[in-house]
Amino acid sequence: MSSKFDVIVVGAGPAGLAAAYKLASAGFKVLVLERGREPGSKQVYGGRIYAYWLDKYLPEFRKDAPTDRWVRKERVSLMTDESVTTIEFEVVKPEKTSFVTSLYSFTSWLGKLAASAGAKIVTEVVVDELLRDEKGRFIGVRSGQDKVYADYIIDAEGVNRLLLERAGIVPRLKPELVAVGAKEVLKFDNRKIMEDRLGLSEDEGLAWAFAGWPTEYLPGGGFLYTYRDSVALGVVVYLTAWRQLVTPVYDLAERLRTHPYIARLVAGASLQEYSAHLTPVAGISMAPPRFSYDGLLIAGDAAGFLMHAGVLIRGVDFAVASGVLAAEAIKEAGRPDALSRYDDKLKSSFIIRDLAAFRNADKVLSGQFAFNDLPKLVNALMRNYFTIEDRPPTIASALKTTLGESNVSLTKVLINMMYALAYL
Amino acid sequence: MKFVVLTKAAVPLSSAIRIDPKTGTLIREGVPLSVNQWDRDAVEFALKLRDKYGGEVIAISMAPPSGIPALESLIGMGVDRAILATDRAFAGADTWATSFVLAKTIEKYVPDYTLVIAGEETIDSTTAHVGAQVASHLNIPYVYYVYDAEIHGNKVRVRRFLEDEGVDEFYEMDLPALISVAKGTQMPREISLLRKINARDRIMQATNKELGLDPECVGLKGSPTFVAGQTGATFPPRKRKIFAGDPRESVKALVEELKKEGLL
Repeated sequence: MSSKFDVIVVGAGPAGLAAAYKLASAGFKVLVLERGREPGSKQVYGGRIYAYWLDKYLPEFRKDAPTDRWVRKERVSLMTDESVTTIEFEVVKPEKTSFVTSLYSFTSWLGKLAASAGAKIVTEVVVDELLRDEKGRFIGVRSGQDKVYADYIIDAEGVNRLLLERAGIVPRLKPELVAVGAKEVLKFDNRKIMEDRLGLSEDEGLAWAFAGWPTEYLPGGGFLYTYRDSVALGVVVYLTAWRQLVTPVYDLAERLRTHPYIARLVAGASLQEYSAHLTPVAGISMAPPRFSYDGLLIAGDAAGFLMHAGVLIRGVDFAVASGVLAAEAIKEAGRPDALSRYDDKLKSSFIIRDLAAFRNADKVLSGQFAFNDLPKLVNALMRNYFTIEDRPPTIASALKTTLGESNVSLTKVLINMMYALAYL
Repeated sequence: MKFVVLTKAAVPLSSAIRIDPKTGTLIREGVPLSVNQWDRDAVEFALKLRDKYGGEVIAISMAPPSGIPALESLIGMGVDRAILATDRAFAGADTWATSFVLAKTIEKYVPDYTLVIAGEETIDSTTAHVGAQVASHLNIPYVYYVYDAEIHGNKVRVRRFLEDEGVDEFYEMDLPALISVAKGTQMPREISLLRKINARDRIMQATNKELGLDPECVGLKGSPTFVAGQTGATFPPRKRKIFAGDPRESVKALVEELKKEGLL
């Protein structure tokens, strides 16, 4: 038994579905294969989607995509067990530049868009292998005993890219390339309570990043995003660091929830979901040697298209844009052996430019300064400055006392500041 | 031969279960549904009979349209076609009204059926009523908890094992008949991608316009069962106490705490 399509997309996530939508709209016979029960059911992210590139690549989202709350407030907190220092940025007039929504609802919306354009989405299917012909060209996929063929394959299988590994395109994932995230969704019976506690008006969103205590001062961070009537609260830890954790990864989200500072913010909210997933952290360093092969294009997390720069974390806009570019490349190529234009398109797009700009971000983000020294120093400094004792009440004196109490030199602080400026 | 499998798109997750406060019945709309897992045994059983004796396997279900993916996955297993009886009028049905609709759907669309096969029970209601009631509506003999069957002419010989008695029983019935398949006795086959791709084309939907059943006999109205009252299991607030440290010590502390609460 066999079956033939123009395009097979592996993975019904933002990348795969954006490609499927564009191709189906252009009249291609598209098959999307998804392992989960429905599009989006196996996906996890923190919580935010940036709108700028979506406006360019998928402007349809403005019409009716679910956007729970547009972000008005950005917070970055350095956290220890006994204090928290926060920088907050808030625009006076609300803007629509990024929004918080559940990835499941967004993907579900995109799935309906793709399906209504004519793409065939089949769920609960595990693809076992990318099929090649005797010349090495990609010609289809195998699932169990079944083979399905197509002129073009788009691999949007996500971060854990087993198919690309099996095809020999990428080596097994190295711990340095990924982090593991675990998150809880905590629902408020009355969303007004959530808004009041977080200082939000109706429909306004908050994006909040934490460094230090949530990861036991190891590389990674905590986050809190506001959905309509719930918050996503979670922790991401670099895979290279997880062995050093005292708390098991799966307990980190709960541990953050029980920190006295967070506990009062989410008191009374009930646990709605619990999820965990790998996430790329090394961006372009995780990229396969090429993004296009004869008959095959690679998009989304599978290609390493996720920008992790500490506080700035962008995945969905990269995924959608790469899916759209893959669709354009297929439309323009006209034949499976002319897909290298996809690589060109990526290189001249923001995707490769932005990822390349953060090529060295993990030099700063995988060291101990940002997650251990900095949160501890800043909190100690604040405490020393704001506490009146028998010493000169100046910033210089507080800084001197703080550095004296720690084993971090001023030189180290300055060097790391320069790294941050250079790489982030 | 025509093997009809009764199947339910069940509410699979306890967290997805919501009860309609007015009627006390399970809310199925807007809830993710999937094949009642014991029905997979019934489907496998039917497919084996079809593979041995020829004919076709037809799955029949009553559900809102959200039950379609469940039928698609059965077609992926090898079911030849499926009929979904779906109508707002059918909502809130108890097992009696459900089996009435199922029986009438069989009579209308598969009048020449050979054997009706049901799963042992559902995972979200666990009544095991529907098989027997469908057989009663159709006025055919039935045997429950079957694990093997052979067809000889117009008779079926079935075997079942009774755990408590430790007895293996044989029955012979005239066809058509109904059996329910003991759960866990079959090895449900894998779902084929190629079959799933075009599964939708093999599903027929029948509303009450086509079935023409008396509105008094279906749905909540046709259900003699009513929920007289219910006591919700209340969830006491969790204390979120963590007993960390040396496992021996923390278990001791936990036991002490439970004793103090009067739980041990």
